[in-house]
Amino acid sequence: MEQSSAYEGQPLHEPKGWWGRYVFSQDHKVIGLQYTCIALAIGLTGMFLSLLMRMQLGFPGLFESIDAGSYYQDVTMHGMIMVIYLLTALFLGGFGNYLIPLMLGSRDMAFPFVNMLSFWFYLLSVLILVSSFFVESGPTGAGWTLYPPQSILEGTPGADGAGIILMLASLAVFIIAFTMGGLNYITTVLQSRTRGMTLMRMPLIIWCIFLATFLGLLAFPALLVGAIMLIFDRVLETSFFMPEIFKGGEVLDYGGGSPVLFQHLFWFFGHPEVYIIALPAFGIISELISCHARKNIFGYNMMVWALIAIAGIAFIVWAHHMYVAGMNPYLGFFFATTTLIIAIPTAIKVYNWVITLWNANIRMTVPMLYCLAFLITFLIGGLTGLFLGNVAVDVPLSDTYFVVGHFHMVMAVSPVLALYGGLYHWYPSVTGRMLDDRLGKIHFWITFIGTYLIYFPMHYIGFLGVPRRYYSNDQYDFIPQSVNDLNQFITICALIVGAAQFILLYNFVVSIYKGKKAGSNPWGACTLEWQALESPPGHGNWDVQLPVVHRWPYDYGLPGATADFIPQNVADEDIT
Amino acid sequence: MTEVINNEKEKFMGLTHAQVFMYLLMTVISILFLFITNAYLFRMNFADWQSLPMPTLLWFNSGALVLASVGMIWAKQGAKSGSPTNIKIGLTAAGIFGTLFTLGQITAWQELNAVGYFLASNPANTFFYLITALHVMHVLGGMVAWLRVSFKVFLGSQNTATEHTIGLLGIYWHYMLLVWALLFSILLTT
Repeated sequence: MEQSSAYEGQPLHEPKGWWGRYVFSQDHKVIGLQYTCIALAIGLTGMFLSLLMRMQLGFPGLFESIDAGSYYQDVTMHGMIMVIYLLTALFLGGFGNYLIPLMLGSRDMAFPFVNMLSFWFYLLSVLILVSSFFVESGPTGAGWTLYPPQSILEGTPGADGAGIILMLASLAVFIIAFTMGGLNYITTVLQSRTRGMTLMRMPLIIWCIFLATFLGLLAFPALLVGAIMLIFDRVLETSFFMPEIFKGGEVLDYGGGSPVLFQHLFWFFGHPEVYIIALPAFGIISELISCHARKNIFGYNMMVWALIAIAGIAFIVWAHHMYVAGMNPYLGFFFATTTLIIAIPTAIKVYNWVITLWNANIRMTVPMLYCLAFLITFLIGGLTGLFLGNVAVDVPLSDTYFVVGHFHMVMAVSPVLALYGGLYHWYPSVTGRMLDDRLGKIHFWITFIGTYLIYFPMHYIGFLGVPRRYYSNDQYDFIPQSVNDLNQFITICALIVGAAQFILLYNFVVSIYKGKKAGSNPWGACTLEWQALESPPGHGNWDVQLPVVHRWPYDYGLPGATADFIPQNVADEDIT
Repeated sequence: MTEVINNEKEKFMGLTHAQVFMYLLMTVISILFLFITNAYLFRMNFADWQSLPMPTLLWFNSGALVLASVGMIWAKQGAKSGSPTNIKIGLTAAGIFGTLFTLGQITAWQELNAVGYFLASNPANTFFYLITALHVMHVLGGMVAWLRVSFKVFLGSQNTATEHTIGLLGIYWHYMLLVWALLFSILLTT
């Protein structure tokens, strides 16, 4: 038998003691859980900040502690936390770490030690970020895009203290963490597949995480360069991005720099970042929809090529975030065109999911509910994107609540729905127990309906021209009272949805001890993570021999077979 | 678990784990330098740009980096022909010249600073310091890997992985030379 030289005949970094097993673990499953726990914790913080913002918008002045400065700080930290420290970390660090080796039939990541370092750097980046809440003048309030010059000029919250520096430093550390993790994911996918697991037999979620990681590795350096240069401008008073500035009749030391340069660097990272979040969500949906509808995924090859197309085009659309920055109309036309073109592979994916559901034996499990909710939400978010992708329509809608509604539907609610679906689906693999179904459904319906009640009205508020990022809507004649009433309604919905997330948390904790025993493959899935010897899978994942893969991961309802699913490691001659 | 058998077979183009990791890492580093040079070329079109003279020392530093690469080739050949002495000579040369390059770059900064080309006085200066510092940091990363390999070689725990490891380390050092050659030529010509 051919054997790999990597760990041939050697024990696999056997953990030493409690600390080695649960804290400084090199086991991909533990690292995945560590990522997940930290990401969820910081995500809860992000949600809390959003509720503070909503309180101010719905009931202005109710909390005296919320002033304009702290409102902007909440906006900034909410955005950054949710996009980077929750979603990116949870999808790639959490799901990526847990699923890649298990689904590919390998024992662990290619470089377990680097993988462990990746988590600790991530934790460090989170701690640096959180520490900015406790420094004098607090965290930065520059908006999550951190545009200079205002992000580093006195007067912006956090700019005169350490807030902005800590933000940028935290991002730099996060990027180092991501690079270490990302190099590992790609090496593992390319190198550590078990026998028979060809690239075109990989579960779609692995394709999605693989491509999202590529996007991250190629896009994050742009942010790193931007962050380093911005730190230089702030600390050493250089002028990479800083133009000549007159302030209170005085000329500041800056001069000659280009704020638009930062915007290019930021969005060259920022747009692929959308897909770094969206692709893993697509992957989760592909797995869940096929498994819970007991039907093979429609158009696997097409799905893979659509993903590759999305990943490629994601790099040539970035300036659609900059239409109002002052842009040559031909350039605007180019970016509007590429933006619309990316809808084609995306639509292919949505059609394929819908066709997968056609005539399927749909089981209305909690993960399936999340899949259906994702499909609708992603469609709606995508459609409003068509408006914003066009220059002429974008200009009047830019910086209004329409944009807030759009991107929350497409890259906040949609990925979170996929995320929750994924958590419900793989929880039994991690803990060996099922989450409570009734609580799951209550949590689903409140979250699903609630988020629509929150974000749908924002589109209408945006049509009225109400600007986003305004601390108070009181003093503007063009904003009617109805907007304030709607804001109150949204805030109440947000509070209810926020509170409902504790149902999930409760379900998580209680089910570890009291959940129904899951058995080894509760959903009847074909992929390898459910075929491990033990449930939950032990250290090293497999028995002495690695599994051998004979088929693609979606053999549900195979004609002639008695079982309604054939796991990937079952050979043709063993099918009964 | 006392013994595991890995029958992982699906490899990518017959590469080892470490090779894939290294090539990916070099891709990511290339992207980083691509962005910084892009920003450099964008920013230099603005009116306040004043190019700074390149210290002659940079040529000597470049020479040191070339010799460090030669040292790595020497070590690789030594590993190939099974000559521990040549491995040691090569690695030592690479380490000495790598250190000389790093010290030389620091001296060049000091020289420029001494004659008034301060970091914040012009964007051309800032870019020069930033780009060279980023490169030096990546060379230092290579020095850390060099230390690891040297420890193994000099403390005698030579194994079959050495040729592979030295080969990979050599690739990274040649790559650092290539990056420097490109950066230096951009700095010289603009």
